[in-house]
Amino acid sequence: MLKEPFVKNYLSEHYGSDSFRTLEGYEDAGGFAGIKKALAQTPEEVTEQVKASGLRGRGGAGFATGLKWSFMPKQSDRMKVIVINGDESEPGSFKDRMIMERGPFQILEGILIGAWAMGAKRSYVYVRGEYREPIRALEAAVEELRAKKYLGKACFGKKGFEHDIVIHSGAGAYICGEETGLLESLEGKKGQPRKKPPFPAQHGAFGLPTTVNNVETFAHVPYILEKGVEWFRSRGTEKSPGTTLFGVSGHVERPGLFELPLGTPLREVLGLAGGVRGGRRLKGVMPGGLSMPILPPSELDVGMAEELLAPRGSHLGTGGVMVMDETTCMVRVACVTSYFFRDESCGQCTQCREGTGWLHKLCEKIEQGRGSAEDLSLLVDVPSVMEGQTICAFADAAAWPIQGLLKHFRADFQAHIDEKKCPFSESFEL
Amino acid sequence: MPKLTIDGNEYEVAAGRTILQAIDDLGLLMNGVDIPHYCWHPKLTIDGSCRLCQVEIEGMPKLQIACNTPVSDGMKVHTQTERVQKARRGVMELLLINHPLDCPICDQAGECKLQDYAFEYGVAGARTREPRRPAKKSVDLGPTILFDQERCILCRRCVRFCREISHTGELGVFNRGDESLLETFPGIPLDNPYSMNVADICPVGALTTKDFRFKIRVWFTDDVESVCNQCARGCNIVASRSNNKIYRFVPRRNDAVNDTWMCDHGRMSYKLNAQGRISSARVDQKPVSSAFAAARAGELVRAARASGGRVVGVASPFSSNEELEAFRDFLAELGAGAARFAVPHGDSDEILIEAEKAPNAAGCRALGMQESSDSLGHAELAIVLGHTTHAAAFADVRRVILVDSHESALSARADVVLPARTFLEESGHFTNVDGVVQRFNPVVEPNFEALSEREALDEIRKAAAAPPASET
Repeated sequence: MLKEPFVKNYLSEHYGSDSFRTLEGYEDAGGFAGIKKALAQTPEEVTEQVKASGLRGRGGAGFATGLKWSFMPKQSDRMKVIVINGDESEPGSFKDRMIMERGPFQILEGILIGAWAMGAKRSYVYVRGEYREPIRALEAAVEELRAKKYLGKACFGKKGFEHDIVIHSGAGAYICGEETGLLESLEGKKGQPRKKPPFPAQHGAFGLPTTVNNVETFAHVPYILEKGVEWFRSRGTEKSPGTTLFGVSGHVERPGLFELPLGTPLREVLGLAGGVRGGRRLKGVMPGGLSMPILPPSELDVGMAEELLAPRGSHLGTGGVMVMDETTCMVRVACVTSYFFRDESCGQCTQCREGTGWLHKLCEKIEQGRGSAEDLSLLVDVPSVMEGQTICAFADAAAWPIQGLLKHFRADFQAHIDEKKCPFSESFEL
Repeated sequence: MPKLTIDGNEYEVAAGRTILQAIDDLGLLMNGVDIPHYCWHPKLTIDGSCRLCQVEIEGMPKLQIACNTPVSDGMKVHTQTERVQKARRGVMELLLINHPLDCPICDQAGECKLQDYAFEYGVAGARTREPRRPAKKSVDLGPTILFDQERCILCRRCVRFCREISHTGELGVFNRGDESLLETFPGIPLDNPYSMNVADICPVGALTTKDFRFKIRVWFTDDVESVCNQCARGCNIVASRSNNKIYRFVPRRNDAVNDTWMCDHGRMSYKLNAQGRISSARVDQKPVSSAFAAARAGELVRAARASGGRVVGVASPFSSNEELEAFRDFLAELGAGAARFAVPHGDSDEILIEAEKAPNAAGCRALGMQESSDSLGHAELAIVLGHTTHAAAFADVRRVILVDSHESALSARADVVLPARTFLEESGHFTNVDGVVQRFNPVVEPNFEALSEREALDEIRKAAAAPPASET
């Protein structure tokens, strides 16, 4: 694992330094300036600043963070809870891991600012089960905060500001990265997303008013408070301010993380990653993790921000950029993708449970040279009754990549059917 | 009250309800307002997973599930648009890709919601050529239920029933995605006093009762509305009959009495109608015609009155209100005073099962009858109408006239026994533990000569009034 991103900005500036992972080192680097400024203001003022900053959730959906915070009931006789999503289960995404490992105090400071703004007494950081090192880093950081009384009955010496943070290990399911699937899992239940209403702000973790944010989202918050809204908005786009850690993987010379302003052209991101490996030609890019539709090389000039990608038929997702060169069989990509979503569907909703299985069977059939024109038309029809009709967005996530692959690489599918075999390699079975 | 418009028709509905709940409250669901659904059940929590009840709501970009969308005032819902129909076709097609085409050997055929909705909302042809998910046939879940895993559409009604209603939690859905399977938890069979309800709420042929399975095709039966007589709850039922035979009881919805449930004991009590019946009149325990037995009963009544001896009436909490009234009047004519009655008792729970193991103790009380299981003391004659389980109380009674449907310790010693019809062989009303008066209807005809209790009383009355017949 990389110790730091190849390209750094405010968030990852100190990720190369081991001392940044200690409370002392974090403070030396200017840490806790944000929370101190926040505690000098009213919770409403803090929420207003986060709203004004335009910060969008970095977990995939890109929802406005300040607006989400304002959904929490102002007055509540029940304890309010913050849940931090560090499940990072999206294939192609590996940014949260680095933030948790290299900048745990950034996340914890952001959480405390959120806790002050929302009046939450308890936070749960839900970390992907396989992420042993991030869990260790966060647990050590929480211990240091407690020892320094930055956490407890009166955080940072502020009377009445009580907060505690629990680090919780997941157990390895994609769907536990979904907001309410995560809440179920946190409660010790099977990871199955909840129907809405009720929304988490009314009935979240353990039935308490809850806000769920991604770890990276919280990591940005201290900088907004410390340096101000205008400073934050000077990076990124009007609708998507700030930076993010793009994770570039696949057929590039230099796969890794790159902290860049949102809106950076995809071409520039690929260039920083050294371009396509071995001088080969680019075939396609999934710009936001496995669940976002693939883009063809003709779309390389698109800016990496949700509002710029959406009109081009894809989404920013988690910023996990997956690059595929000309040797890639797009039917095999569809096959692997549909297998993943078939395996990870929680199985509650009809369309998702049955649709993901059917899609995978169809993709596998075509990849193995047994497909027909009829199967190809089913690959269009089945996703169309899956997307937008289920409890959570998983069915969309399963349908979109197939739709994208078919839209831009139909020739690959047709070749498999015409030649009755995979033109790229020997057929395989998963 | 919020106003809800569905396909142009406006309804006033209760506040705080979801669309399906509101329509169900009005009694219109699948009965004027058709929104097909699988996982939703009026007496279980909302699951929202089958996705069949999707509707289009003005102002909402996506289709919404009617089961979980709260009604707001002025909401306009469309259930028949092209988008809704496409979504339903999609759900039906996807539910069927792993469902076996074994309707010809499936016991649910004829009352299967998958058949019904596939016909109504699906498409005729199958587009899948892939092998179906392998699963187990004929899984023994416990003493009452067999499970066909292939047919299960994972609506999880049964899971919620066991958690929320019977509070036993034996069932769960294991694994994920299209490998999800309904199973019992390891080592825990589906065994609770309400277990057979899961077969009723299963929309497909996955859960069937061992008792009814393969006994008869449902389209050969017709259903008669009745009331269970096994305890004071009086769960509403339909009795399925064919060729003058009862094949099963299933619960009938009554929100004031039993919601949509009944206990397994009550459900299996349909068998009692044919068991242990008094099939012939008897005098001194020798078979005689009903007319002869009635005449003998009349003689005993006359003799008792002539002797000035004590005559007592014993009523039964298994009799209908109509029978109890007739008995009260009969006893008044004799000057015998109010009837006594005794109620058998047993286990009860917080769900449906009442400790009083008879359907109409409340009816007896309402007519001023005396509840007692003590000895009747010394008496010349006891006239017993209906089933009574307290034979010991009759130890010091000289003569007993019994009108009853089922053999008992008392029928084995009664001087005159007249065979009676059961509640499944005539109509009447029971008053349940909460004072709800409920009608039952004749389901079958006895295949021997049996009188209704009222007819028996009339015969005894006539015989008692007649001048003494010359002994022949």
